[in-house]
Amino acid sequence: MLDRPNVLGLLLAAPASLILVLLLAYPLGLGIWLSLSDAVLGSPAHFVGLRNYIQLFHDPVYQGAVFYALMYTVCSEALKLFLGLGLALLLNRRFRGYRAARAIMLLPWVAPTVLSALAWNWLLNPQFSAISWLLMKLGLIHGYINFLGETWPARISLIVVNVWRGIPYFAMGYLAGLTAIPKDLIEAASIDGATRFTIFRRIIWPLLLPVTTILLSFSTIWTVTDFQLIWTMTRGGPLNATQVFTTLAYQRAINGGTLGQGAAIAASVIPIMLILAFIALRSTREGS
Amino acid sequence: MTDRAGWRLWLPLGLMLLFLLLPFYWMVLTALKSQPELLNSPNPWWVFHPTLGNIIGLLTTTEYPRWFANTLFVSAGATLLSVTVSFFAAFAIVRLRFFGARALSTAIFFSYVVPPAILFIPLASVLIKLHWFNKLWALIPIYATFLVPFCTWLLIGFLRSIPRELEEAALVDGASWPRIMFRVILPLSVPGLISSTIFSFTLSWNEYLYALIYMFSSSNKTISVGLTTELMRGDVFQWGQLMSGALLGTLPVVLVYFFFVEYYVAGMSGALKD
Amino acid sequence: MTEFSRRRLMQLTAAGALAAGAAPDIALAGYKPMLPIEKGAHLQMLRWTGFVGADDKHWKMNSEAFTKATGVPVSIQEISWDEVQAKSGLAAQLGSGPDIIMGFYDDPFIYPDKLVDVSDVCGYLEKKYGGFYNIARTYGYDDAQKRWIAVPIGGPGDAVAYRESWVKEAGYDTFPKDFDGFLDLSRKLKKQNHPIGLALGHAVGDANTWTHWVLWGFGGKQVDENNKVTIESKETYEALKYAKALYETMIPGVSSWLDINNNQAFLAGQISATINGISIWYVAKEKFPEIYKDTRNAPMPVGPVGHQTMFNLFSQAFIFKYSKYPNAAKEYLRFMSEKPQMAPWLTAMFGYVTPALKDYAKLPIWTSNPNITPYRDALVDNLPEGYAGKPGRAAATALNDFVIVNMFADVCVHGTAPQEAAKRAAQQLREIYGA
Repeated sequence: MLDRPNVLGLLLAAPASLILVLLLAYPLGLGIWLSLSDAVLGSPAHFVGLRNYIQLFHDPVYQGAVFYALMYTVCSEALKLFLGLGLALLLNRRFRGYRAARAIMLLPWVAPTVLSALAWNWLLNPQFSAISWLLMKLGLIHGYINFLGETWPARISLIVVNVWRGIPYFAMGYLAGLTAIPKDLIEAASIDGATRFTIFRRIIWPLLLPVTTILLSFSTIWTVTDFQLIWTMTRGGPLNATQVFTTLAYQRAINGGTLGQGAAIAASVIPIMLILAFIALRSTREGS
Repeated sequence: MTDRAGWRLWLPLGLMLLFLLLPFYWMVLTALKSQPELLNSPNPWWVFHPTLGNIIGLLTTTEYPRWFANTLFVSAGATLLSVTVSFFAAFAIVRLRFFGARALSTAIFFSYVVPPAILFIPLASVLIKLHWFNKLWALIPIYATFLVPFCTWLLIGFLRSIPRELEEAALVDGASWPRIMFRVILPLSVPGLISSTIFSFTLSWNEYLYALIYMFSSSNKTISVGLTTELMRGDVFQWGQLMSGALLGTLPVVLVYFFFVEYYVAGMSGALKD
Repeated sequence: MTEFSRRRLMQLTAAGALAAGAAPDIALAGYKPMLPIEKGAHLQMLRWTGFVGADDKHWKMNSEAFTKATGVPVSIQEISWDEVQAKSGLAAQLGSGPDIIMGFYDDPFIYPDKLVDVSDVCGYLEKKYGGFYNIARTYGYDDAQKRWIAVPIGGPGDAVAYRESWVKEAGYDTFPKDFDGFLDLSRKLKKQNHPIGLALGHAVGDANTWTHWVLWGFGGKQVDENNKVTIESKETYEALKYAKALYETMIPGVSSWLDINNNQAFLAGQISATINGISIWYVAKEKFPEIYKDTRNAPMPVGPVGHQTMFNLFSQAFIFKYSKYPNAAKEYLRFMSEKPQMAPWLTAMFGYVTPALKDYAKLPIWTSNPNITPYRDALVDNLPEGYAGKPGRAAATALNDFVIVNMFADVCVHGTAPQEAAKRAAQQLREIYGA
């Protein structure tokens, strides 16, 4: 029996499927149902169709959250990809201490997010910022920067912190991708007289494309659904400037008790994610 | 020539590492500072009167060792569970190519896009029905929901890179599929398994939302949850202890990476080869 | 009523700190359950992590005393105060969780039907301890169903914390008692390079506290008694103009401040005054001797309406109907509110929590130091969340969406005209209150 691929295959796939159906698909279904209901904490819910979604559509706070969530994601992903790739190219060489460098550069990625966000909060504090202090001493600024208190500085600061946290993940992935590139290919190219830039553009980058898609799709998913970092640092403030899907959903559903609307906010991310996932899926698996 | 290369390597690398490590340097300083010094310092980038009081206080007046053990237990458990079931699933999809393989691999990937913020309320009602609420071990299957998709995906890629001739030869020799799985494919998958292990461990180690919401008792707290719930008292934070706890909590993961980083890279690169 | 002597209280606190066994014996004296406690009862309670360490310690000691007196074990779980809401909401939704939760503000009114009627406990306490403050009643008594759904505990009260020497330099011997004086002083302090600081970020406690206080101080209201949106009013514009003038005297960066920031800035000597719970004074006393010597607390100034319009954090304990041991839970809350337990708890905290029952204002701790006294009266003339509307979900949503705070920040930080900011707030409020 166990020797028939179909039987064994089902058996082996069962545990993973069970976990995902029970703890992911089923609650997801419940969540979507909540978003179509007038559910409030502690009361029975009634089906209201798309009412929550229509309300959100007219809600300026939600519109702001959509805007910032997209901006936060696009900017952080672009920067993380660029800087992560750069770091990987540097770390791909064998210099003294490369092992140690590879390990310590991972720190931002492995430290508990809530706590590193707290540390950043302090570094960006309007009164105690060690960064402002340094810039003042260097004579670059004349007063402490209000990093988290004004719309654009706050938006940019959060992106910087997200990038800080995510660079190691990209660097690690790209390091793996670079290791997988056959050395002789590059050697052959340099013998042919290609410049390093040409080698990178014509050989390395195309070979890194599959890695890029994977790294980018997973990282994008994490960034779109990021909660801890923003919640710890600004709680969506100042003036809702850094509100994103998850913080707004949490604020409405949990703090305000309007479960249905919170669920609708969270569920409204899913179409975006599905499109992203679909693109990722097509470009990696079907391409090969 | 070599000088120029050295400069070109060290300058950007130095700047990058400075950006990545500066907050940690600050965390170390804070862990060593008394509260008055933290608020009144002529130079915030230095510690003038270092104290071990924070670390000692953390270890003696809080249940930090307990939170540490909890986190270790949950992370190790979630990692073991996820890597195991993911390996099975990946094997079924890639090597067995059973009839549901394609659908399953797609479903697993899409399941990764579900945001925890939408999941945690309905998931709570599932946990209640299963009587899993406030049970520390329940975090293990819960974490699997976000670990399994990633691990499976990684291992699918890795298993694809293993030549098919190997198992064909074994089949000709009359080996059964389970035997092939354990004796032929498993040993060859070690790098892939290591990288998914490290990855799962890190993600579990830092998880916050589920551990915060689903665990009630203080004996069930993880590091992140314990530190933030017991050392952030209203509007007064125990900064020194918080940062000591964060650093102590990061240490084991860094050590794991330090020793396994080569395997991690190798495993990932295997997975990414296709 | 027998008055506890100050020495006795101090002994209690000291004894408690030394040996957890000392207090329970005293607590046991004269306690008899009023309700039949269920057989085999055991309780789970969820509360916020105390703002000062002595809080949790003494609460636990009292809890152990209850176990000793009744044989009912109580396990206490603590989480940060701003995360209690998430857990209590979840418990209400799922019909499972801790038996008792100590929550904040309007929490019980979000799910009144899920809560056990505690009218008997509240009635008893009211009679015995001089009644509850009005604000406590608002946060505990369900007018719609004519019953108590939560036992009021108290509020971490607010007052002004200021640096005496700097305020004197600015020409004020005592802290001003009205809004005009406060603004004048702030301007002078700013001139001397000792600005004040009040949070304007999404600070659940501090930002809400002072913006509502100013709004109400001028007579502005987000809704009227029938939950009709009335934020667009002359009074609101006046309040916003005042806040803007005040903001201009503040230290830069308050727009990002969360609850911890004003404490830190004050203890670092960067601001001369702020509005806060007693934590600043308490921490200064323990760790910042220089600042402590110069720190004074004063009642918050009164606005043009002529009476105090404070908005405090307020905490009450409620029992969920899913609890298998409602009687034990009720007994527990009654026990904890009785004087032998309440008095040492409040004393050990140096008045961090202003009690909901009026008689506890007579405890000697409140007058043991003039800086504690303002906190004694923090609950007199408080106005509730969502004033002047009805408590409930809409009020909670408005508070959690920071509608009022953001309206103030809009004017102060972004320079939006008061009319325009109020209009935006009105739109949001109409959305929340369902037009």
